[in-house]
This record gives sequence, structure tokens and C-alpha cells, in this order.
Amino acid sequence: MDRRRIRVLLVEDEEIHRVVARAVLRAAGVEVEEAENGAEAVRRVRESGAGGGSGAYNLIFTDKQMPVMDGHEATRQIRAMGVATPIVAVSSDSLPPDVQAFITAGANDFTPKPLTKEKLGHILAKFGLA
Amino acid sequence: MDYSTLRRQITFMKKSFFDQGYLDEQFNQLEELQDESSPNFVEEVVALFLKDSPRLLTNIEHTIGKYPQDFHRLDSLVHQLKGSGSSIGAVRMKNECSVFKAHCNDKNLEGCRRSLQRMKREHATLKQKLESYFQLLRQVAPREHAVNSRK
Repeated sequence: MDRRRIRVLLVEDEEIHRVVARAVLRAAGVEVEEAENGAEAVRRVRESGAGGGSGAYNLIFTDKQMPVMDGHEATRQIRAMGVATPIVAVSSDSLPPDVQAFITAGANDFTPKPLTKEKLGHILAKFGLA
Repeated sequence: MDYSTLRRQITFMKKSFFDQGYLDEQFNQLEELQDESSPNFVEEVVALFLKDSPRLLTNIEHTIGKYPQDFHRLDSLVHQLKGSGSSIGAVRMKNECSVFKAHCNDKNLEGCRRSLQRMKREHATLKQKLESYFQLLRQVAPREHAVNSRK
């Protein structure tokens, strides 16, 4: 797949994580848009023309702990809109209960922070975006 | 100091960070992301860590001193610190944060206090080392830019 056509939504409140993840994603050649909390992510997905299908984003990365709306709730709301876009949780909490909570909310996968070139490569390949 | 001596010193310093367990592979990953379009990327990310971490350590200390204890808040703060440290590969900080989180889980305030003191010491040492490292890098940067411009 031509990576220039891959649109990724990065949902992360902390600047240091946005800066690192943005650099990893851009180095991989994908187009990055950002939301600083779960509510903004839900709004972006809704406004992207989502619903009843895969929406405008090819992949969503979301943190867990965020102000306004956390990653779990954002994931639930995005799924409730009928959006099937792969959602990957990226969090420092990587114990089994943390991972399971995200999967239960509707995420497809989980990767511990920080996002790296190698982790991104696996994720893109897993979801047919490589 | 001449260029080659500076370069050797930088290489030695960086190797010591890894050998002494201050930094892990994530730091190398950041360096791989640095290029002509973002020539100071690593220093910028480290600067973000050094901006976030003192504030978080202060907040943790303040929260430890409160009564009744708020272990949920403490866990949240150290979670942020752990994540921030992980972004630059600050492995000792990250490991001490994990120890602190375990004490929070056990509601062990004294354990949290001891862990905080270790975190503060690790942070001070790491800050000093990284600042020295980037100070040296800034000395070679103009010369490397001149060399690259001639290519």
C-alpha cells in the first residue's frame, strides 16, 4: 500500500509522546493527524465522514490516560459509531488487565509506549497497511 | 578542544550512559529519527522530558505530604513520569517509577517516600549527564554542518 495514502489519527495528550510518535509515523511516510484527548478524537472521527464503515482514518493510535475523555471511552464511542478502523492502544500501562480493558472497549491491539519504528512496522503489517 | 577529541569524548560519554544503565535503546531510536529536517530532534525530546519531570517530581512530593493519602493520584503522576522517561530511554528512572507504582499498589507510603528520594537522585544525575552531552554536541554541530554543506 502506498504509505502516503495512509492516514493515522494519533490521540495523545502529552507533548513528549506526540513529538516522538509523530516523528516515528512521519519517518514511516504516513500522514498524521492529532487529537489531544479522547473527545477530540471522537469528534475528528465523526467529522471525517465515518460511520457504517472504515471511516477516513486507516489507523488510530490512542493513549489511555487523557483529560476530558480517556482512551477507553473514546474507543467505545468510536466503535459505537460503527467505525471499524483499527484502533491500537499505546500506553505505559501494559499489564494484562490494562490490555484487556482496551480490547474490551473495542481496540484491536495494544503496544507499550514509546512507539518505535519496529512496533509501527509490525502494526502496519498486521492491519495490511505495510 | 579539537574536533576529533570532541567526537571521541562524545562517543565515550554516550557509551557510558548505556554501560552504566542510564539510557537504553530508545535513545538510539531517537537519534535515528534525527535528520536534516529536524537536526535537534533528540535534544528537543530530552528538553521536553527535563521540562516535565521536575514538575512531576514536585507534584509527587506534594501529594505524598498530603493527608489522607491519595495513592490513586500518586500512581497517576508517576505513570506520567514513567512514560516521559521511557520516551528518551531513561531506564533507571523508568525502573524506579515501577518500584514506586508497586508501593502505591501496596499503599506503602514509606516505600513511596524512599522511592521518591531515589527518583530525585537518579533524575539529578541524568539531567547533569544529558546537559553535558548536549553541550559537547553543540560544539561539534557547527563543524559538522560545515562539512555536510561541502558534500
